Amino acid sequence: MTIRNTLRDHGQRYRPRMACLKKAEKVLLEMQDPKTGVKSQPQRLVITTIPHAITGEDILSWLADRFQVDTQEARNVGSMLVALGYIYPLQDHKRLVIKPDASLYRFQTPYFWPTQQWPVEDTDYAIYLAKRNIRKKGILELHEQEQYNRLHKWMNHKWDFIVMQAKEQYRAAKERKKPDRVVFDCQERAYWVVHRPPPGTVSAMDYGLERRIEPNADETKTPDFYERIMIFTQQSIMRPRVKSSVSIGALVKYCATYNNHDPFLSKCLPSNPWLTDDITYWNLNMTNVAIPTKMRVERWTFSFGELLSDPRGRDDFRLFLKKEFSGENLAFWEVCEDLRWGAAVTMREKAEQIYKTFLARGAPRWINIDGKTMEITVNGLKHPHRYVLDAAQTHIYMLMKKDSYGRYLKSPVFKDTVKKAICPEEQKFTDAQLEQNAKNRRPSLSPIVLRQQEQEQRAKMAANAPVDITQVMSKLSKQGKEAPPCPPPAKK
Amino acid sequence: MRRWRHSVDELAARRRQQSECERAHQALSRVTSCFQQLAASLGSTADSSFLRDELEETRTLAHRICCGLSRRLVRLVSLSDSCVEDRQVSERLWVLLLSALEHFLSDLRKASDLIGQFPLTQRCDRNSLINTGCMDGVVGVAAQVALVQVPWLTLEEEPSPDLTCHISGLEDMLTEMQRRVPVAFWAVEATQAAWTEAHGAVDEPDHSLEELMDVEVVHGNKMATCCQPMCCGLGCVG
Repeated sequence: MTIRNTLRDHGQRYRPRMACLKKAEKVLLEMQDPKTGVKSQPQRLVITTIPHAITGEDILSWLADRFQVDTQEARNVGSMLVALGYIYPLQDHKRLVIKPDASLYRFQTPYFWPTQQWPVEDTDYAIYLAKRNIRKKGILELHEQEQYNRLHKWMNHKWDFIVMQAKEQYRAAKERKKPDRVVFDCQERAYWVVHRPPPGTVSAMDYGLERRIEPNADETKTPDFYERIMIFTQQSIMRPRVKSSVSIGALVKYCATYNNHDPFLSKCLPSNPWLTDDITYWNLNMTNVAIPTKMRVERWTFSFGELLSDPRGRDDFRLFLKKEFSGENLAFWEVCEDLRWGAAVTMREKAEQIYKTFLARGAPRWINIDGKTMEITVNGLKHPHRYVLDAAQTHIYMLMKKDSYGRYLKSPVFKDTVKKAICPEEQKFTDAQLEQNAKNRRPSLSPIVLRQQEQEQRAKMAANAPVDITQVMSKLSKQGKEAPPCPPPAKK
Repeated sequence: MRRWRHSVDELAARRRQQSECERAHQALSRVTSCFQQLAASLGSTADSSFLRDELEETRTLAHRICCGLSRRLVRLVSLSDSCVEDRQVSERLWVLLLSALEHFLSDLRKASDLIGQFPLTQRCDRNSLINTGCMDGVVGVAAQVALVQVPWLTLEEEPSPDLTCHISGLEDMLTEMQRRVPVAFWAVEATQAAWTEAHGAVDEPDHSLEELMDVEVVHGNKMATCCQPMCCGLGCVG
């Protein structure tokens, strides 16, 4: 039996609604109609013929006709039906796509259809593997062997049942006529290709996170339920309101601004990697690329937030501020972000370091915030927590936005970046080239490697940080010269 | 002397009961496998009222076996004064029964969903059945079911429930059994090692079936033109 604790189970184990399944079933039922459905032909094998085989091109032409779409879209829909497991290919059964030629397919029996409410059990898979083991005398594929061993370990307590059931199912299947046996075995094999795909393939049954509540169940009307509804309504009433003209105006402005930058609504240059399997677009837009693309640079002009959130934009802005000798603002903002999002263990030390570097009187990178904010911040730093520097950070952010940002956009640094920015040509691939691209798909850099690179970058930047006044002073005093304290460079 | 003989009698009785339960397990496995073969044709063109009647009969037989087996096992496992080995055997049988019941329950639920989705009450309903390529060859399976022998088939006669009652009854039985008898099912170990069933004495190995399924490729290609496998957005690559 499966190990399950139903009493105090607060786990997430309900599968989300898969609305596509119901729609696919309707389409499939329409395909069955003897007059208006897909025409079928018998499949000839050595000893017998099996009816109800359909060709790929017939399916695609029926779909294109039924939904009034072009062939490419019909292929997408057809491949989805195959990937979900409603139609299975008779040749090349591991590749769940529809080929627009005379290759044969067959409809899957409703017993093996994917359902939303009953997840596929490992017990059934174990029985299937044991049956396959009996039939093929131990010669299973590599991933099937691994799964077998894993299930044998984890389901050891019911392994006797699994083996017994496998033997009995094998014996029961033998009672059927030969053509029906072949069909049933094909159906079962197709079912498990869909629900336990071999490694390296993409499964259409991936549905993301499981939910905490059963989406099909009706919620019982307990007093708790009504209390939740009351709280929700009260909060809705208390929410601050904005005139719809204002909010709609904001939405319209957003859509108009970002329309050309959306990869769905307009072309993605050079090409969308998800469609063509060519990763030039990602390479051109990496975080530490030397020359950004024109679209990216244009996005920096939309708002200050866009500039700061793009790492390449932030680098450019930092360069500009270095030339203006007001880099400490950005440095302070970055360090505040680090405090907000960083680990709780190092928070206290970080806060102290920030105070010494940026806020204390005579600090090496002293930032210019008004007296009231400084008072609040210094008081808060007595008991530092994640959001203690929020007020100061907001002040500096608004300072940069109102002042430095405008000057940055007019600066030679930015103008230079704009001139150098590249605009890649749109790529056009033939079908053969697309096939080649798909074959050459490689996994990208692992996130561990990326994080290491990031840390190295940060360490390099820290080493090249602008020289503090104290360092200059100590160097001069070491040389025995009493240099007058030079006034801090003109700060804005 | 009398006590010794009494305990030996007890032991013998228990062994007898355990072997009876083992045979009942075999029978239950056979019946549920046949049920699955029949249910696999539900909703396809091989579906017919004959199939559904067979399904009903198989189900009632399974119900009878399940009820009898659960009663006997509850009695067997509840006996506290047994030696460790006996107790292990009983617990093993207990875990096997619970697994079998769960498995059968999931098949029942699927079958009930399918029967609801594909009713055969009118002639036009037959148009919506799926053309799966199966013709009705379930006569052999039905014959298998009829051959199943249960030790207590003749002793107890209970009214067999209909499908929905059966499902809810099984669910109740499962929860009831788990609640009443605390058995540490993770302590049960398999008596068979992995991969041994492949070497077992299964009647002739079915090479021809495998060749049959592979031969399709050769024949299919003769009809197909040289196909260039295309990739599309949802390409599942082998």
